[in-house]
Amino acid sequence: MSCLSPESKPDWKAYALGELNPEARVQAEVHAATCTACSEELATLRLTLDMMSTLREEEIPRRIAFVSDKVFEPRWWQRIFSPTFASACVIAVAILAHGLMRPANTDADVDAAVAKAIARFEVKQVDADVANRMQIEDVKQLLIAGMGFQRQ
Amino acid sequence: MIFREVEDPDLIAKARRGDVEAYNLLVSRWEKRVYNYLLRLVSNREDALDVSQEVFLKAYQSLPKLGDPARFAGWLFRIAHNEAFSLLRRKRPETELIGDPRPAAAGSGMLPMELSLAIESALGRLSEDQREAVLLKVYQGFKFDEMAEILDCPVSTVKSRLYTALDLLKVTLSPQIVRGES
Repeated sequence: MSCLSPESKPDWKAYALGELNPEARVQAEVHAATCTACSEELATLRLTLDMMSTLREEEIPRRIAFVSDKVFEPRWWQRIFSPTFASACVIAVAILAHGLMRPANTDADVDAAVAKAIARFEVKQVDADVANRMQIEDVKQLLIAGMGFQRQ
Repeated sequence: MIFREVEDPDLIAKARRGDVEAYNLLVSRWEKRVYNYLLRLVSNREDALDVSQEVFLKAYQSLPKLGDPARFAGWLFRIAHNEAFSLLRRKRPETELIGDPRPAAAGSGMLPMELSLAIESALGRLSEDQREAVLLKVYQGFKFDEMAEILDCPVSTVKSRLYTALDLLKVTLSPQIVRGES
């Protein structure tokens, strides 16, 4: 059998170059099995491509490598948009803003703060003394009540 | 713990952040392919090496413009194509005066070195466009649509160049084919 019309002939170059889809490949193989002209064309094509593939790649005479240089450093806008740099900027701005917004400490402020703390401590001490005395009174009352119970 | 191999998109991401070492690793993976593609296109080792360096420098500078890292290969060869043809355009008058510097294939036998010379000679007889189509398809394994992107032309043009080139190669190499079969 041979090809009756060029339209019915499979695209052998696409076949040999691996560009046909699986369905078209199967159809082409079925055709080649029954068409002498096409199977010869495909065989010649394969031989040519096999021959081409024997050409070996050459080793590169000198390796290509780059060193860190101004040329390779990211531009200023690339740095700004890098995640690490952007986070560092946000933290720096936050610290600066906090520092600027906080009023400066004077000696009077420090004295006032110390006085406030002492006052708070003294109040706590007075409360503790009162609680302590009340506890002693409660114990005395209990002892007296206990003694009365024993006498009875 | 499962370790996965570092892939090109990983290296591209690091190189985009300015990691030159990651870029050097990426270059080491592609330099041989790019160099050989350029060598067969410009037919001169020094030029191929110079253009390869230029290609990787341009690629580094243009990395932020690369949309999908999975398409790095086609994108890199597009740069290589542009650089090679820029060089060929600059050198064209000189080349035309000198003529075809490639060795003739007549009388070649089937020894590996002679076969290589025959193939190089056959490639040298193709037009630049046809030769490039063969290099991208046969030696670099790109698909027709990828080649169309690299060459910035329709797929039909890619097929036309490649098919014509294959017909010419078949004729040029036929004495070797007959010799190989006998």
